[in-house]
Amino acid sequence: MRNINNITSEKKKVPESKRQFCSFQMAGHYFGVDILDVKEIIDEVVLTKIHHAPIEMLGFVNIRGHVHLVLDLRLLLNFSTKPIDESSRVLLFHPNVGESFGVMVDQIGHMIEVEESLIEYRVSEENISGIARDFRKSDLEKGVCKLKNKLLIILDASKFLNAVDLKR
Amino acid sequence: MKQTGIATKIIFLSCGIALILMVVGCVLVVQYEMIMLNSITANKVDEKEQIYLYRLYHEKKALTDQLTSQINELIKIMNSVDVIYAQTFEFQIQSLLMHPMVVAAEFCDKNGQPFLTSWKRKTIQFAKSFPDDLQLKQHLVINRQTKIPSIAIIRLYYSIEIIEKQLQELKKKDIDELHETRDSVYKKLNALFLVQSIGSLFVVGLLGATLIFSLRWLILKPIHGLMQIAGQLKKLDLSVDITTTTASHELNSLAQALGQLLEGFRKIIADVKENANMLSDSADNMTDIAEQLTNHSEEAESKSNNVAEASVQISANIHSIANSVEQISDNMESVSSTSDYLFNNINSVANAIEELSSSLSHVGERAKNGTKIAEQAVFLAKKAGNTVNSLRYAADEIGGVSEFIQRIAHKTNILSLNATIEAASAGSAGRGFSVVASAIQEFAEQSSRAAKDITDRIASVQKGTYEIENAFKDVSNIIREMNESSESISFAVIEQTKAVQEIASNALEADERARNINVSIEDLSRTVNDAADNTAQVAMGANDVSSRIQGVSESISFNRQISHQINETAIVLNHLSGNLKCMVDPFKVSHQSKLNNNNKE
Repeated sequence: MRNINNITSEKKKVPESKRQFCSFQMAGHYFGVDILDVKEIIDEVVLTKIHHAPIEMLGFVNIRGHVHLVLDLRLLLNFSTKPIDESSRVLLFHPNVGESFGVMVDQIGHMIEVEESLIEYRVSEENISGIARDFRKSDLEKGVCKLKNKLLIILDASKFLNAVDLKR
Repeated sequence: MKQTGIATKIIFLSCGIALILMVVGCVLVVQYEMIMLNSITANKVDEKEQIYLYRLYHEKKALTDQLTSQINELIKIMNSVDVIYAQTFEFQIQSLLMHPMVVAAEFCDKNGQPFLTSWKRKTIQFAKSFPDDLQLKQHLVINRQTKIPSIAIIRLYYSIEIIEKQLQELKKKDIDELHETRDSVYKKLNALFLVQSIGSLFVVGLLGATLIFSLRWLILKPIHGLMQIAGQLKKLDLSVDITTTTASHELNSLAQALGQLLEGFRKIIADVKENANMLSDSADNMTDIAEQLTNHSEEAESKSNNVAEASVQISANIHSIANSVEQISDNMESVSSTSDYLFNNINSVANAIEELSSSLSHVGERAKNGTKIAEQAVFLAKKAGNTVNSLRYAADEIGGVSEFIQRIAHKTNILSLNATIEAASAGSAGRGFSVVASAIQEFAEQSSRAAKDITDRIASVQKGTYEIENAFKDVSNIIREMNESSESISFAVIEQTKAVQEIASNALEADERARNINVSIEDLSRTVNDAADNTAQVAMGANDVSSRIQGVSESISFNRQISHQINETAIVLNHLSGNLKCMVDPFKVSHQSKLNNNNKE
């Protein structure tokens, strides 16, 4: 009998019911991306600016011999831009999200592990016409996670590059 | 309104008299009418009585006529008959008795003896003669002689009681009617009397109203006006003008006379008032003059008194001067002894000053010593300042180290995050590693916090050292000031020493001068003795002057008493004139003069 109970409890702890997010702060708001999309966090950044590129593209960065594109997530989320300071970090994403790129964030937070039930995904609105959709970057937001005393906005990393393209 | 006015009295009196007269007249008339009525009624009754008697007579006559005619007819019948039977007589007598008034009938023969009689007693009865009990004499009788052979005389007795009765009843009825009419007339008269009295009351009321109205308008109103004027006069207000607009001539002339009287009074009072004013003014002036005189004499007296006092004081002063001069001579002796004492004291002072100069030089040495110590202190303070400086540098270095630690902590944090990411991507295999990574992250956060703490503390240490440095600077400044002041002290001491030496030399000179003073004081004492003698003589002369001045003062005081009496008299006069003015003042002569008075006041 005990064994059976133990098995059921282990089943409850199955990783699929939990998700991990890499949280960060931007202009006083809490955001998070799926930890499986993140490849690495970099603190010392030497940016090489790209001329004639959209202003969302901050430049290239060389990480251990590999060149990555860095986007300004503030501009993508329609905040005003902000100069790079001590707490600024670059999140690099996995190649399966998009071809070797990262985003600049204001401040990095903790890794958060939450129950799947606490996440509310936003319902995609099919009725909105294509042109209206172009000007909205709200597609970047996948949903909202309810934490103890605040809300965490979950962003979809795979939409970041597309957002830049659409803007162009 | 408790006192009834003339008008009211007149009205009440006249109305009362009119009422009484009317009532009395009314009563008299009614009484007279009553008497008249009574006499008329009595006359009527008498008349009725006479009428009754007259009728009775007529009735009686008619009856006798009737009965006679009946008898005549009877006789005629008897004559016409040839044979007369006894029954015929009975029948005839019975027919005679059929008449209601006939009581009895009697047939007599030629001898005058009755042979048949008949009478009514309940029924008709017959007999030869009347029974004795039948009383016929009082009844009326008709005697008739006939030519009938058997009957010579027919006597018929009849009565008129019934007629009398009827007539009497008639009379009674008439008299009753008369009485009734009299009573009704009485009642009517009573009603008339009531109406008359009410009418008289109404007339009296009308008369009263008329009287009230006429008295109000013709007499009371003008009298009221005069009374108002009299009221003003009572208040001594003579400024009233009497206007003669009254209704009646008598009151007009009265008002005019009053007005003339007022005019005269007004003039007289105005004159008196003016004179009183003048008198009052002159009395005031006199009082002022008397007061001035008194004041002057008082002043003179006080001055003379002052002079007397002053002369007395002078003599007293001269006495005291003499005394003082004597005292001075006494004092001079004590002064000479004191100057001796002074001489001795100055000697001792010179000695003391020498001692002082030696002690001052000692103080100077001490001050020099203090300067040296202060210099040493300044040196030490500078050294301490340097040490504090090096401490500050060390603190700065520590701050750098803590920053370095913080940077390491950040790096560790990033590393732990990356490790977590790696562990997550490794899936369930990396779960254990993720725990380690989170522990490392915790550690990194702690070390970061510690480094921040160190930085804060070092900052406070740096602040403390900065304050210490400043304090040391202040201390060295103070010591420098001390050093400067001790130097100035030593300078001052040197100068004081010099001054003391000068004092010592002066003290020696003073010693000699004191000796000289001693000699000159003795000379002075001699001169003072002479002066004392002279002042005694001056004092005697001053006494004489003083006594004479006192005589002058007494005569002035006599003058003053007299002037005071004058003043009192003037005051009395002023008072009297004031009284007179007061008496006259209440009379208001005219509006203008009133205003003038006010202005004067």
